[in-house]
Amino acid sequence: MAAIVLETSSATPVWAAYKSGEGVFDEMLDLARSERSGCQPTAKALFSMPPDWFAEISGRAQQMFRRMGVTFNVYGAADGTERIFPFDAIPRVIDADTWATLEAGLIQRVRALNMFVADVYGDGNILSDGIVPRDLVLGCPQFRRAAAGIKPPLGNFITVAGIDLVRGADGRFYVLEDNVRTPSGVSYVIENRLVMTRLMPDLMRSCRVRSVERYPADLLQCLIEQAPGGKPNPTIALLTPGPYNSAFFEHVFLSQQTGIELVEGQDLVCVDHKLYMKTVHGLHQVDVLYRRIDDDFADPLVFRSDSMLGVAGLTAVLRAGNASVANGLGTGIADDKAIYAFTPAMIRYYLFEEPILPIVETYLLRDREVREEVLAKLDRYVIKPTGASGGYGVVIGPKASEEELAQVRKLIIAEPANFIAQPVIQLSMHPTIVAAGSGSGAQTQIVPRHIDFRPFVLLGEKPKVLAGGLTRVALREGSLIVNSSQGGGSKDTWVLEN
Amino acid sequence: MLRRIASHLYWTARNLERAEWRARLVDVNYHLLIETPPRGAEPWAPLLAIFGEREAFAEHYATADEDSVLDFFVLDLRNPNSIRNCIITARNNALSLRHYVSSELWIDLNTLYLTAQAWTPDLFRSPGVFAFFSDLRDSFYRLSGILQTTIPRDLAYDFMQIGMMLERAEDVARMLDVKYHFLLPRLEDVGGAVDLLQWAAVLRSASALEAYRKRYGNAIEIDKVVGILLFDASFPRSARFSLDQLMVSLSRIGGEGFSSSAEDSAKVSAYFPALNELDAALKSDRSTHALQSGLHQFLIQIQDGCAAIGDEVFGRYLRVD
Repeated sequence: MAAIVLETSSATPVWAAYKSGEGVFDEMLDLARSERSGCQPTAKALFSMPPDWFAEISGRAQQMFRRMGVTFNVYGAADGTERIFPFDAIPRVIDADTWATLEAGLIQRVRALNMFVADVYGDGNILSDGIVPRDLVLGCPQFRRAAAGIKPPLGNFITVAGIDLVRGADGRFYVLEDNVRTPSGVSYVIENRLVMTRLMPDLMRSCRVRSVERYPADLLQCLIEQAPGGKPNPTIALLTPGPYNSAFFEHVFLSQQTGIELVEGQDLVCVDHKLYMKTVHGLHQVDVLYRRIDDDFADPLVFRSDSMLGVAGLTAVLRAGNASVANGLGTGIADDKAIYAFTPAMIRYYLFEEPILPIVETYLLRDREVREEVLAKLDRYVIKPTGASGGYGVVIGPKASEEELAQVRKLIIAEPANFIAQPVIQLSMHPTIVAAGSGSGAQTQIVPRHIDFRPFVLLGEKPKVLAGGLTRVALREGSLIVNSSQGGGSKDTWVLEN
Repeated sequence: MLRRIASHLYWTARNLERAEWRARLVDVNYHLLIETPPRGAEPWAPLLAIFGEREAFAEHYATADEDSVLDFFVLDLRNPNSIRNCIITARNNALSLRHYVSSELWIDLNTLYLTAQAWTPDLFRSPGVFAFFSDLRDSFYRLSGILQTTIPRDLAYDFMQIGMMLERAEDVARMLDVKYHFLLPRLEDVGGAVDLLQWAAVLRSASALEAYRKRYGNAIEIDKVVGILLFDASFPRSARFSLDQLMVSLSRIGGEGFSSSAEDSAKVSAYFPALNELDAALKSDRSTHALQSGLHQFLIQIQDGCAAIGDEVFGRYLRVD
């Protein structure tokens, strides 16, 4: 695919130099040209805005975020430094048809992942039937023996899922990664929207953008449905690692929006296989715990004994059926990078359906033949360690130095089961506002930047997909890394009404 | 309300109150020394004695001169009760309270924290000690204004009140004791110019001088000073006032319905024996007795009483383990 140069004659000078990357999908230009996309009105409106306008809305957005205190903590900063999550005011638009497919694909996928977790910790049919190798599951660092036999209400191990999608050069969405442990980012989706409704209310109204406002109410509903025995008016608490956690802002936000108590491990105690929180007026029983800490820290009696973040005896409470946690213990088995390769097979196995959303081809390097093939052309693949998350340890072949390749080759040969290989996916790009130069000479420019997408899926009695999601943007030129800790920012995502 | 949250609220308020009193005392002592030439070699030593921090100070400093004491009381991170540390502690407790307190309070407290992080000894030269403390006092006034005007009168407010009022009762007693430590008045000085100046300074550090003059006129007498700072239910920095507020908050918390009734007050009496004791000691008709039996002893009794009440509150409401 050749680079697209903007030809709209009405475009203002700020767009004049805009040129999409070669061989990548440009979310605004490609879609603006497509007949059925529904993205034209937004694109047209944005093309005709004067340069000053972009600088102005960027400034106003910054100011609003700072005032609202929308921040994240940076790990490693001694005083728990808080930063504003950089925000780009040019929205990413997804038309109604595309969304309908995504929505169906996401529901299908999360249902299958949930059934997989329940199966693994239940009867293990998928293992007996040889669809997913038993040794791969039992040897997975995210497998939690302690979760075996736990039967959560509704059979739901997964209540909240964040599925990372990327758009390839062909314009299709691919699943890059599943997050079914403690996915975060939804608070930014809601806050981004709040800012956008103030920045461009008219454009939003004329484009008929779907609301994201209901998420906290939907989340609360799912948590209520997760109460053991369908108990009416259950007590629900959100378990946070505390104010120094990078996602603390979100924990505060969600507890405020849903009205559930924000607790730390020290606020909880298990007595006689029941879970309680310690209030000034005594112990108060908790029925559902929306936990935002990892399995490893959840119960020092069962997992890491040095954990101060969880509550001793939680696993026994779950086993007794006197409380439930969302997401359940051990769900990490479903978002493991090697298990990922089997997700299409899971969908077929549990739902008798063809996967709606494709995954990225994935090679398990524990297989000798596959390994040799990959090692022969190492510079063409992305190599990912299966145990890590957050982009840690990932080597992108075409961009890696000889040294890095030699290093990862050694690691693969030493412990092949710890690695997978994937072809390089060209993340799609999106027009993004940058300030070139600094001081009084600063100029607002619009340039293409790589983006990805994290929609959120809720499982209660029925699955629900938030009509929107977190579009993350790699603000550095050429960068594929969208993580907020490494120069990533975010955009509002507009899902359009039918 | 979670016990941990109650505890964060209590310590946030308590540390802010503590920082404010320290600022007041250091400020007043500084000005007192300008007006009354010091007699001893270490004019700042009495201040260390008031806080019982002579030894902690001696660990890090050779002499109690102005620079060292200002550093120790205001800036030193090794001193857990330095003004800077009190502000840091208050703010770090408030980190977990962002959904309980108003965003105005959080933002202002965080701003003070960031400012305190950046303090250096140079500030005592430029803008100078006077301007430094004057700014600091303004910060505390602003915070307390925000607290009073943005926090609903519910459990959160009451736990902050308890922390603040306990600290206030304790600190006003401590401050009054300054005279005991400062100089045991020589007979010929009593009622003299220096004595008067010192009592005026004590009143001023509690912002009580004007209230005193309005009520009692120009003559400053020890029994009246003690009356306004310890026994006066209408003066907002007196021990009596603090104790009354404390009892109101405790009975509201005990009463669940956030309205305090006679019944709730009775419950409070039953649960907090140390509070009862101090309450009895601070009845207005006890002031003569307090003076006759020795003011210093009485002030120590108040401080010990506050510590005991703190333990009772901790045991009943704040203990987490």
